[in-house]
Amino acid sequence: MGSGSEGNRTRMSVAPNAYEAGLAQLLLQREVEAFYTREAELLDDRRFTEWLDLFADDARYYMPIARNVAFDRPEAEYTRERTDANWFDEGKDDLAKRVQQIEGGDHWAEEPRSRTSHLITNVNIAEIRGAEMTVHCRFIVSQNRQDNDINFFVGKRTDILRRSDTLQVAHRTIYLDQAVLQAKGLTTFF
Amino acid sequence: MRLRDTADATAANPAEGMVSREIFSSETIFAQELERVFAPSWAFVGHTSQLAADGDYVLSRVGQESVIVARERGGGINVLLNSCRHRGMPVCRYDAGNASAFTCSYHAWSFDLDGALTGVPRLNEAYHGELDRSQWGLIKARVAIFYGSIWASFDETAPDFETFLGDMAYYVRDLMQSPDGEDDGYEVIGGIVKWRMPCNWKFGAENFTGDHYHNYSHRSVDRLKISLSGKASRHPLAAIQTPFKFLNIAHPGGHTVRANLYEALTDYQSMWGDEPEVDAYFRAAHDKRQKRLGDRARLITRGGVVFPNMHYNTGGRTTIGIWVPVSAAETEVWRWLFVPREAPQIVKDTLRHFYLRYGGPAGMTEQDDMENWSAAQRGTSGVTARKFPFNFQLNINEAHRAWPEAWLGADTMVTAGVSEHNQRSFYTRWNELMSA
Repeated sequence: MGSGSEGNRTRMSVAPNAYEAGLAQLLLQREVEAFYTREAELLDDRRFTEWLDLFADDARYYMPIARNVAFDRPEAEYTRERTDANWFDEGKDDLAKRVQQIEGGDHWAEEPRSRTSHLITNVNIAEIRGAEMTVHCRFIVSQNRQDNDINFFVGKRTDILRRSDTLQVAHRTIYLDQAVLQAKGLTTFF
Repeated sequence: MRLRDTADATAANPAEGMVSREIFSSETIFAQELERVFAPSWAFVGHTSQLAADGDYVLSRVGQESVIVARERGGGINVLLNSCRHRGMPVCRYDAGNASAFTCSYHAWSFDLDGALTGVPRLNEAYHGELDRSQWGLIKARVAIFYGSIWASFDETAPDFETFLGDMAYYVRDLMQSPDGEDDGYEVIGGIVKWRMPCNWKFGAENFTGDHYHNYSHRSVDRLKISLSGKASRHPLAAIQTPFKFLNIAHPGGHTVRANLYEALTDYQSMWGDEPEVDAYFRAAHDKRQKRLGDRARLITRGGVVFPNMHYNTGGRTTIGIWVPVSAAETEVWRWLFVPREAPQIVKDTLRHFYLRYGGPAGMTEQDDMENWSAAQRGTSGVTARKFPFNFQLNINEAHRAWPEAWLGADTMVTAGVSEHNQRSFYTRWNELMSA
């Protein structure tokens, strides 16, 4: 490969088109990760109204219930959107109502409010279709309320992100790694 | 009053409107409850719509214990203790499915849908043909199917299910009637909602008996109008303008109902105005129900408790749940969501959406209930706090028998308005069983 900087070597080893494509992919990855970092900050800073702005007006927010099923029935593991009982299966209007409930000071399950930290990782842009892309990631949400009320939610998320002026969540699926929910309330967002 | 604080004390004196805090925190009392309160009662375990085909099964609970609710060939429903007779393993590892047999994953004893022990490895060479398989089947519960609901009891000496219910039978039948008054008119939505909460099971139970005093808990959700009536309140029923008595209906068996008894039969008053097609369904259903039930259609129930741990909501939110007792300070909740079987899809979808936003850990109403129950739990174990009983004196000594309508049930004791009558009745029955 000869001499030269690390950057030159990399450039030399990759065909020009592939280099441009790789750079675009990297920039997109960076944009999506920055979007999720900002989202997590808004939630953890309790700026819920601004958080809502990250969702498209027709967005869906869906968190199925996990079930213990036989190996040959994997399709039955999670309850179905718009069909079965789910933890959440709703639109932006419902999310907005939840935000209004939390922000009134009289929603006892969030008064005093939770301390949360949302950690988003393993961000994988799985598919791009025009203005939309499917993104998989993992989440850890730590929630503490009052003195000893601690919840630790871990799971997988699949988003459809849509590009208009900015990125927005068009559809979110939240797979929590619990069949029997080990919390008395789902008062945080995922 | 002096509160007894020993393990064998019942420590509840509902006649005086007082209940010891210790019955919520003592593990000794909790262990006695499993034997004396849960074991002799009938348990709600599911609904026939969960078992559409022969071989379909679901897991459920009787008290703390796992049971298999299975439909055998020919449609009969069995409730089997999910515990292998050989080493106690659960013989069914899945929440639901279809099977012709259950085989234990440890030593491979296998059982058919009737619980009979059909397969034993090395039966001849190691048991020498002397194992009487007829004596080693899964433990079978007594089963009652009541308008689609499935009930079980492992107590061979308990009265039959309808005797256990007494006048409550009318209300369980009512619960299972679709909005048009048709018997066995509901089906379960896929997916049973299950979660844990850090409080004694009785906090949930007594709330569902008829705590109409706790509206303050739900201030936040009431200001948001989560019902689809288009009007304020979380309740579709709040849209009805006809004057009514709010009734607390208590049964000697500890079962309780909360209900609105309207002064007159009236035309339908829009309760689902935000969704015109849904409103049209409920309008037609209202008229059919009045034709079917006549004057009794004036009674619209809001929910209740089948003693001890089955609880339900009605009044536009048909859901049934059980409080699974885990320990004195922990409860697992299972909740079944129901929609009218013959209703158009949009009605089913709308109800489902309403239920998910209303109840359970993601429900904007019940989140605040569970916050309060869990906080109350913390007030039951302190060395000082536990010496002082809870107060249940709200509207005490106001009950009337079979009132204001005899058809409410000959043995019912009823109060109108905000009252802790139903809670007192619940603890009276609890006391009877714990003292027995």
